[in-house]
Amino acid sequence: MLRGRGLVKSYPAPAGGAIRVLAGVDLDVRPGELVVVSGASGSGKTTLLNVLGLLEDPDSGEVWFGPERVSGLGRSTKSRVRGRSVGFVFQSFLLLPGLTALDNVLLAARYVGGVGEAERRRALALLEAFGVLDRRDHYPAQLSGGEQQRVAFCRAVLNDPPLILADEPTGNLDEANAAVIAGALADRARAGAAVVVVTHHPETVRGATTVFRIDGGRLGAWHD
Amino acid sequence: MSGRTVWHRLRPVLRGYAFTVAGIAIGVAGLSAPGAMSERIVRFIEGGDRFVLGQISVAGRGLGMGAGFAGGGLLPAASVRAIAEVPGVQGVQAQVMLPLEPRTSHFLAVTQDLLLGLDLSVPTPNRHYPTLPVQAGRFLREGDRGVAVVGAALAASRGVGVGDRLTLEGRSYTVVGVLERMLTAPDRFVIVPIADAREQWVAQDPMLRTLLASGAAALTAADLNTGAAVGWAEGEDPDAVARRIAERVPGVNVQIPSELSRVLRSSTAFFSALLAGIAALALVIGGLSVANTIAAAVFERVRDFGVKRVLGATDAQLGREVLGESLAVTLSGGGVGLALAALITRAIDTWVTPSERLFLFSPRLVGGALLFSVLLGAAAALYATWRLVRLTPAEAIRRGA
Repeated sequence: MLRGRGLVKSYPAPAGGAIRVLAGVDLDVRPGELVVVSGASGSGKTTLLNVLGLLEDPDSGEVWFGPERVSGLGRSTKSRVRGRSVGFVFQSFLLLPGLTALDNVLLAARYVGGVGEAERRRALALLEAFGVLDRRDHYPAQLSGGEQQRVAFCRAVLNDPPLILADEPTGNLDEANAAVIAGALADRARAGAAVVVVTHHPETVRGATTVFRIDGGRLGAWHD
Repeated sequence: MSGRTVWHRLRPVLRGYAFTVAGIAIGVAGLSAPGAMSERIVRFIEGGDRFVLGQISVAGRGLGMGAGFAGGGLLPAASVRAIAEVPGVQGVQAQVMLPLEPRTSHFLAVTQDLLLGLDLSVPTPNRHYPTLPVQAGRFLREGDRGVAVVGAALAASRGVGVGDRLTLEGRSYTVVGVLERMLTAPDRFVIVPIADAREQWVAQDPMLRTLLASGAAALTAADLNTGAAVGWAEGEDPDAVARRIAERVPGVNVQIPSELSRVLRSSTAFFSALLAGIAALALVIGGLSVANTIAAAVFERVRDFGVKRVLGATDAQLGREVLGESLAVTLSGGGVGLALAALITRAIDTWVTPSERLFLFSPRLVGGALLFSVLLGAAAALYATWRLVRLTPAEAIRRGA
C-alpha cells in the first residue's frame, strides 16, 4: 500500500547550513500491517510521517500509494489523494475550535465528495462506538483530552482510508484513553488498513507487525 | 431548537469572528462618516446647481441690494412685463431676496439666511423646483399676508414651527409651513408673500426709504423687485432665451443658466477638492483597516487551513470557503459599521449642530461603502489565502501551533 524510497529531507539550520533529518529512508507498509517507528526527540519521526502523508515534500526520494507515485503530484491533486486515502491522528488532536465534535468528524467528508445523510450516519455511529456520541454538539474546548482524541480518531477513519498515519497518538492521553486509541489503531490494521504510528513509547502500541527505530535519519530494526 | 441551544452553538462562532467584525465595523465607520459629510456637501452644491439650471435669473442692472442668485439693481415692473413679452419666455415671477442678517451676508454667501418674497399670482417657473416640499403645514397661497414658510434648518435654529410667530427686523410673521429638509439653500429660507418682503425691504433699507421719500424716482410698490425667475417654453434653449432677454430688454442683468452653473461650480471648486481629499483619505484609511482586518483574520487561522489541507481541501475549495466567510464577515462588519457611523453622526447632528445636518447617508454612499468593503475584503482574503496555500500543510500547522 505505502512505499517510501530514498526519502531525504533537510531543514535550514538557524546558524546556517542544513540539518539533514531524513537521510535516505526506505519503508514499505502493506495492507493489514501496523508499523511503529520510534526514536528520540528530533530524530525525524514526525518528518517521516509528514513526508509519507504528503504533508511536506521530500528533498529527494519518492512516495507511492499502491501503484501511484504520489510524491510528484501537484498541490491540489495531493490534497485530493490525501483526503481520499489517508487518515491522520495527531498528538495535539487538531480539532477546529469553531466546530462541534460532530462537525469536526464530518469535516473529513466535506472535501471528499461532500457531507450527506450517509456520512452523517456514519459519523454518529463512529462517535457512538468511541463513547462520545453524547458530546457530539460540544466544541473541542468543552471536551477532555481523551474525548478530543477519540473525536479526532473518528475524523481520521470517517472516509475509511486505506492508510492511517498517527503521530504520537497517545502522547497526551491518560492510560485508559491511550488504550482505547491504541486498540482502535490495531483494529484498523486488522480490518485491512496500512497503519504507521510514530511514538516515543512503542510499548503502548499493541499488535505492531514491525517496529523500527529512526536514528541519524535512517530506519533500523528496534532492539529493546 | 431552543434559544439556549442556538446560543450555545453560535457563541464560539461569534467569539471567533467578533474581533474581525468589530475591526471591519470600525473601518467601515471610518470610511462612511467622512463620506456622509462629503455627500452632504455634494447635495448642497448639486441642489444649487439644479436650481440655477431650472430658471433664468434676471435682476435690474447695477450694484443694488439684490441677494442670492439674482444680484443687481431694482427690477421694475415694466421690465418684468417686457421680459414676459420676449419670444420663448414662459412665466415670469417677480421676487425679492434679502439677507436676513445683513452684517454677515457677504461672508457667508453660501449658507446665509435669506428672506424670499414671491409673487404668488404666477406659478413658480423654475423647472426643477416648481414647488418646494412642505413637511408641516402648508405653502403660501395667493392673497396671503403676514405669513411665512420657513426652511427646515432655519426653523430648527430659531425654534419655530407651524403656528409660531417669527419676528424679522421688527416685523412679525405667522409661520404657516415648514419645508422638508432639502439639504440645500432653501433650508435656510424664510419665504413670504412679495408684498410683505417689499415692506420688509423698505423698512430695513434707509437708502431705499430716502429714495422713495425724495420722489426722485417714480417707483410704485410693484417696482420693488430684486429680480425675477423666468421660465422658458417647451423646446426652447434656456441659454438662447436668456441671451434674447438681454438683447431685447434694456437695463437688466441676465444670468445665462449654463454660465451661472459653471460659475457656481468653479466657486465651489475648493469644496470639490476638499471632498475629493476627504473621500481619498476615507478610502485609504477605512480601506486599509478593512483589508488589514480581513487579512489578519485569515492569517490567524493558518492552523485551521493546515488541518483542512490535511483533510483534503484543495486550493479552490479553501479559496471558496474564505471568500464566502469574508463576504459574510465583511457584510456583517459593514452593516455594523454603517449603523455605528449613523449613530455617531446622528449624535453630532443632534447635540453639536442641532439646526443643521452635517452628514447624509445616501443610498449610493451606503451601497458604495458596502461594495467597496466587500471587494476590498475579498481581495485581502484572496491574497491571504494565496499566501497560505503556498505553505505545506505541515508548515501551516507548525506556524499555527
